[in-house]
Amino acid sequence: MTGDMPGIPQVMKYIVLALIVAYIVVLMLFTSGSNRPFEEVEAEIGNVIDTSALTKVDAQRLKRNFGLNSADYAGVMYYTSESSMSVDEVLLIRVRREDQIQEITDALDERISSRSSAFEEYAPEAVQLLKEAQRSVRGKYIFFAVSPDAGEYRAVFDRSL
Amino acid sequence: MLFSSITFLFLFLPIVLAVYYMVPAKAKNIVLLAASIVFYAWGEPIYIFLMLLSILLNYFCGRDIYRKWEDPVKGKRSVVFAVAANVLILAFFKYYGFLIENLNGILPTDIPYRELELPIGLSFYTFQGLSYIIDIYRQKVKPQKNILNYALYICMFPQLIAGPIIRYIDIESQLTERRISAVRLGQGSMMFIRGLAKKVILANMTGEVFEQIADIPAGRLSVMMAWMGCISYAFQIYFDFSGYSDMATGLGRMFGFEFRKNFDYPYISQSITEFWRRWHISLSTWFREYVYIPLGGNRCSAVRNMVNLMIVWTLTGMWHGAAWNFIVWGVYYGVIIVMEKYVWGLSLEQLPKAVRHIYSIILILVGWVFFFSPSIGYALRYLAAMIGLGGGIADMEAWFILLTHWLLYLLAVLGSTAMGYSVIRKLAGGTSRARTVSAVVVYFGMFFVSVAFLVTGTFNPFLYFRF
Repeated sequence: MTGDMPGIPQVMKYIVLALIVAYIVVLMLFTSGSNRPFEEVEAEIGNVIDTSALTKVDAQRLKRNFGLNSADYAGVMYYTSESSMSVDEVLLIRVRREDQIQEITDALDERISSRSSAFEEYAPEAVQLLKEAQRSVRGKYIFFAVSPDAGEYRAVFDRSL
Repeated sequence: MLFSSITFLFLFLPIVLAVYYMVPAKAKNIVLLAASIVFYAWGEPIYIFLMLLSILLNYFCGRDIYRKWEDPVKGKRSVVFAVAANVLILAFFKYYGFLIENLNGILPTDIPYRELELPIGLSFYTFQGLSYIIDIYRQKVKPQKNILNYALYICMFPQLIAGPIIRYIDIESQLTERRISAVRLGQGSMMFIRGLAKKVILANMTGEVFEQIADIPAGRLSVMMAWMGCISYAFQIYFDFSGYSDMATGLGRMFGFEFRKNFDYPYISQSITEFWRRWHISLSTWFREYVYIPLGGNRCSAVRNMVNLMIVWTLTGMWHGAAWNFIVWGVYYGVIIVMEKYVWGLSLEQLPKAVRHIYSIILILVGWVFFFSPSIGYALRYLAAMIGLGGGIADMEAWFILLTHWLLYLLAVLGSTAMGYSVIRKLAGGTSRARTVSAVVVYFGMFFVSVAFLVTGTFNPFLYFRF
């Protein structure tokens, strides 16, 4: 009836299913978000943020800098530098619905682009920080950091989920 | 990548078409497959591996079931494994978070869980994979020998991320032999442009009106505003999804494929049963073939048939999303369809056409309220506003929206009936030289207006991507 070697499709389907399970485990470990309350994730990141360089700011500043309304989201934490010469900032948002992620990532792109244009003439080190900005979308959580310590903040974010 | 994006229209599609038409027939499937993988990976670089593994799984499952054609017990075991694996993968990505959230709602403890984004197109390509393995089990088709052809069936970019859901049996022969010609390329382009215009002009504009109305708290909506919101959403979802389906079918024809019709003017229906014969036809067909008929269909007692219908419609609701509002939406249609079949269907047929049409439209609009609502509570508040329990009968804002958008609504009515297409056909149909010139003018006009909307507009979601 068939030209197949006996048993090959049967063996292969189990192998492929095992690969799918392994792949899902990897996704869960490295790309997933979590249902952990926003306040707990915020507290863990807030504990390591260098508050001598960054200040926690309100919804108005988020609107001004990113064009985003904090009331639209389940949680927002935004730290930025008060110095006009600094590009440092850390943003954590938990969206209510997954379709809100795109508008936020678009806003982050726009922010990096406009800040890079503004600083490129006189502050190449700031532009470098913007290039090395840390960004992560994990489930409903979106993390963004521009700072010399951005990598460390990102690691705390990943662990906090 | 969206069909209605500048990158797709002016970069991806022209390059793929040019390469596809230049290479010899034997290489066309490989070109289309490679293009489809790039198309998917553009927006879903991580989940491309899930799709490829799913292709491999169903390819081997299909061959395994075929090897067991002469042994019904082993064959059944093999198809059960394949169906279970596919359903579990879909259920994990789509319903696992929803299930735990509901458990957390009723249990005293809070079970922690990790959320994964829903892979784009998963519901569509899983259903195509299931149709393939079930049809092999039923001995309606033989498994595809060439894995590249099977991969192309699953991930062909025109229909990959939002359907239509194509059954393998309908496309098997086209995977190895299909006709491409300048005429078919032209017909496909025209269909694509019609779909693009539906999506970019009508769906996006009615969608903006709906978003504006949805921002108002449901308790403050006047009757007029609530109905206008609902009507705007009805137009948005129809033009969004049928526009996408037209673009998919048009693209398919450009590459030599013929897909079945997915929409057939659903808003002209005179019953809900008829509506579901005209709306998302490929999904209804899939559920009929692979769920309703295996459950016994209508060749059983009335009670059993009612149970079958309710199962199918609950599953249809669940397919649309892991949320209670979708389940209620599915059950709502299940109940109406059972009622039309066993209670008031015959009486309905005696009524004048206009009354039947109003009956259908009202029930469809109420259904959309459950569909677009973020929660059941919101849906009930919105429905209350529609019957006058919100912010009065009419308000200035509602009149303002109506007076500033009446032309849009008129175009939407024309576009959702056969009238719109017949106007286009009168202007651009036929084969005479004058008609050809007018076709070029009409279609280029539609294309340029659509592109202008795309370049200047910021509102361009695809509603069916999240399913």
